[in-house]
Amino acid sequence: MNSRATSDRHGTSLLTVEHLSMRFGGLVAVDDISFRANDREITAIIGPNGAGKTTMFNCLTGFYKPSVGRLTLHHPRKGDYQLERMEGFHIPQQAGVARTFQNIRLFPAMSVLENLIIAQHNELMRASGYTVTGLLGLQHYKRAERKAVEFSRYWLDRMGLTARAEWEAGNLPYGDQRRLEIARAMCIKPVLLCLDEPAAGLNARESALLNELLLFIRDEHKIGMLLIEHDMSVVMGISDHIVVLDYGRKISDGTPESVRNDPAVIRAYLGEEEDADLRPEVARDIKKN
Amino acid sequence: MAVASDAVTAPRPLDPAYVLKEAGAVAAIVFALSISLVGLKTEDVPGGITVVTRFGAVAIVTVIAFFGRLGLILLREGRPFPVLVTALPFALALFALLLWDQLFAPEIGLRRFLPFGDMIINWLLAIFAAILAGRAAWTFRHEPRQQSAEKREKKMDRVAARVQRAARVVGPLLLGCAIILPFLPIADRRLLDIGILVMTYVMLGWGLNVVVGLAGLLDLGYVAFYAVGAYSYALLATHFDLGFWICLPFAGIMAAFAGILLGFPVLRLRGDYLAIVTLGFGEMVRIILLNWYDFTNGPDGISGIPRPSFFGLPFVRNPPEGTETFHSFFGLSYSPIDRIIFLYYVILLLALATNAFTLRIRKLPVSRAWEALREDETACRSLGINPRNTKLTAFAIGAMFGGFGGSFFATRQGFISPESFTFIESAIILAIVVLGGMGSQIGVVFAAILLIGLPEFFRELQQYRMLAFGATMVTIMIWRPRGLLAHREPTIHLSDEKTPTSHSR
Repeated sequence: MNSRATSDRHGTSLLTVEHLSMRFGGLVAVDDISFRANDREITAIIGPNGAGKTTMFNCLTGFYKPSVGRLTLHHPRKGDYQLERMEGFHIPQQAGVARTFQNIRLFPAMSVLENLIIAQHNELMRASGYTVTGLLGLQHYKRAERKAVEFSRYWLDRMGLTARAEWEAGNLPYGDQRRLEIARAMCIKPVLLCLDEPAAGLNARESALLNELLLFIRDEHKIGMLLIEHDMSVVMGISDHIVVLDYGRKISDGTPESVRNDPAVIRAYLGEEEDADLRPEVARDIKKN
Repeated sequence: MAVASDAVTAPRPLDPAYVLKEAGAVAAIVFALSISLVGLKTEDVPGGITVVTRFGAVAIVTVIAFFGRLGLILLREGRPFPVLVTALPFALALFALLLWDQLFAPEIGLRRFLPFGDMIINWLLAIFAAILAGRAAWTFRHEPRQQSAEKREKKMDRVAARVQRAARVVGPLLLGCAIILPFLPIADRRLLDIGILVMTYVMLGWGLNVVVGLAGLLDLGYVAFYAVGAYSYALLATHFDLGFWICLPFAGIMAAFAGILLGFPVLRLRGDYLAIVTLGFGEMVRIILLNWYDFTNGPDGISGIPRPSFFGLPFVRNPPEGTETFHSFFGLSYSPIDRIIFLYYVILLLALATNAFTLRIRKLPVSRAWEALREDETACRSLGINPRNTKLTAFAIGAMFGGFGGSFFATRQGFISPESFTFIESAIILAIVVLGGMGSQIGVVFAAILLIGLPEFFRELQQYRMLAFGATMVTIMIWRPRGLLAHREPTIHLSDEKTPTSHSR
């Protein structure tokens, strides 16, 4: 959207994760992970279930305080942020990190439009003078509200949800709920979008639409994305860079081609020679690929 | 109870054993409950109390329960005819007897044909019979009304949506009625007192609606803020000789502080845990008021709280020398009801202010954030909403209105003690909000009229009055489990001009 940074930022790093570890008591969910995610690229994070992908997301978006490690977000306009030191709810607005959830978390009893308006809460809060001047019904707030509605309309149009703007979000079909959640995350105008299994539960056609949407966001809105996904057609189709986790450790990092041929990845997904039993989700991933 | 919900157009063969078992079970329950509640009555006699038995009434109640249940089952099975021919004559006969009794006084002696001694119960019975007959007639004309719970719920929601849209007309109409009520010939002292009481609860309900209905924080200690408001006004007024209108904002601010004080420790709590802590908070405030004798005068309460004056003109018959009163200033003769009318308008004004405030704040981001927090706190955090501040504002604003209500209560009563701020008050206010439909403004009004107004009219029943309160609650909960008017309209639309329509159902 805001393309003040006109210089080509391809290849500039947006997020640097250094020695990230997260322990819950004796359980080490994420163990000393370091990687870089570039601006205007889709970085996929894959790995078997329980590999620590969602835990890492929760550290990035402030839901967990990491036990060890440094998470630096290089904001293209505002400079660097140390995410691990920030209060959780400041990360989305100040550092511009938005996320979606594995199990969709919309506001089900509120309308589709309201879901998008809430994402612009802090801006509107300022415009309403923290409720004080808003109560007086000043034009200033009305204008800000209109602007927020127009911004939401852009995303509704993009997602094909304009006709259903007044629906209760909980009544939308599943695929639309997924898309609405992405639209809502985009409404906070992020520089880094973290998607937790956005293709889960989508059919083949919807998956293809999702690919298109994510590429559109990357190319038109010029932001970086982190993507957790099991659906290999999505991962291999659109990601620029893949990080593979297993048992909380990073086992591979590189372009889709190099990761696909990495013996460590194959071992993690297919098991050692003697270990013939495939974990069910692994078998599914392989079949899709 | 387990009747398949798939509708059948032709009446199914009835299983008499099943029908009798159902009706008999209900009759047995009613019998077991009423044998002590209705069958035994204590009565004052010279030299003590004796127990009077009323087993005749128990028998009547049991028989009525049996036939009532039988009628409902037959209706459900699509056989309205026997119900209609029994219920309709029964209702008509009962109405005829009651009207006869009312019009020609009891000396004709028809009263002994009525099933119960209390006239109001006879009236209720007649009304229920009429409803049953009406439903039977309805079933005659239409298909059997077998709907799945979900379908019924949706239909009810559509009705609620229509009522809420109609509220734009009904609201001003109700307001008009409320404004002219004191000047109507029916307005006696009793009616005005009930009006004041109902409006106090409407206002408290609107205040609590912010916390419970919008922010979804179950608050069982709302009466604490009511108490803080009442004591703030009483203490300020009696110690510093300040007037009602000056103290009112202070009482609101004090209550809002109490709300924040309660809010901080419960920030991380949700649901049942939150409810228990707020319940404890309500009791703590009451116990502090009871025991801090030097400050609050403990159980003796505070008396001599100044009454509100009309721009400095008091409502008294014999003013001290050289002061003007309301009636002397306007050249009226003194009438004690003037003060009641004035109080009526004060609470009307306060309630309207509350309503205007809450309607306005609903269009603002803070209210949307409250609702979002109710829906999903985790998602709120991921969107950068500060849950702490948002919750605290909800607590503070809800408490502020409780404080306003409390100071009005203090000035109306002229005397307050911790007795007035027991848990039952919190429960009643919460019941009004929940039964009205969480988050619904007009629903609170209807629920307050039903729950506060009706029991006042049932004073004739003495201690059974609370039974009427309970019966109203149970009826609403069965009929509309989500509250009378639980329907939510979006607070913002794509374009300004567009009339709010809900496509969602």
